[in-house]
Amino acid sequence: MNPKPFFQLDRVIHEKGRLPIMSLLAATPEMSFTELREALKMTDGNLSMHIKTLQEAGFVSVTKSFLKQRPLTTCSLTPGGRRAFANYIDLLEQIVRQARDVK
Amino acid sequence: METDWAVKNLQVIRTLMERGAVYRRALAPVMGAVGLTGMVAGVLAAALKVRTAEAFAGFWIAVALLCLLEAFWLIRHQALKDSEAFWSPPTRRVIQAVSPPFFAGFAAGLIFLSIAPGGSLAIWLLVPGWMVLYGCALHAAGFFMPRGFKLFGWAFIGAGCFLGAGLCLGGPPSAAGVNWAMGALFGGSHLAYGVYLYFTEKDGNAA
Repeated sequence: MNPKPFFQLDRVIHEKGRLPIMSLLAATPEMSFTELREALKMTDGNLSMHIKTLQEAGFVSVTKSFLKQRPLTTCSLTPGGRRAFANYIDLLEQIVRQARDVK
Repeated sequence: METDWAVKNLQVIRTLMERGAVYRRALAPVMGAVGLTGMVAGVLAAALKVRTAEAFAGFWIAVALLCLLEAFWLIRHQALKDSEAFWSPPTRRVIQAVSPPFFAGFAAGLIFLSIAPGGSLAIWLLVPGWMVLYGCALHAAGFFMPRGFKLFGWAFIGAGCFLGAGLCLGGPPSAAGVNWAMGALFGGSHLAYGVYLYFTEKDGNAA
């Protein structure tokens, strides 16, 4: 079995905490920090840390604004993030296909 | 090389992407409020003897607008409470989905208001028409909402078709009962669905 696709997987996305964030953001143009926290049942600190990592990788953009005098943090995938996520899924599918062919 | 993890990751991605696209505001209070309004309106219309076509259409269009305002207020209140944007992408998708049948129902009501057809059959036929259109709206919204919503839409479509067929085959009852029917079919069903959601909707449903 060719291990190449596995080694091509983006390590920033291929992490237990960050993959769900990318998946949720890929399904919608934007999502608030609260929405992500509720959907993923993560703590504020944990979620902030993962978002920061994704932001530094250029996959997620974070917008801070105010809604009725309350701070509102909104996250969305950047075009590069969407491409990286699509590429990640392609590689996963390749891995699954290869495993089925071997069987 | 073990690949179960890859399959599992793909499943996780799929589940989360589906969840990310779904509208998740708590619907129990919305359904309960709309249901109560519908039932109270039914009693009020019967007491006021709203029986002509134009009075019937005008009264129930006003009730529908009131229910929309209630739903808008409750959903906006939830969004503000959770420090989230009201006009979120899932909200936009749901509103886009329900708009065509809502518009058609509103137009049908306005036609009744303007031409004011006589006879109890004409008044009664508006009820299944509205039910089918409303069911279509719920069904369309159901693509972006929890699964039970589509079923609720189908229930309206089915009941509307059944009522329409009954009216055409068996003739209309007296116009006196039409407001009770509106109250029970729209108000009662929403109230029942609201109670069901109250006990089944998970906590932390914020969208």
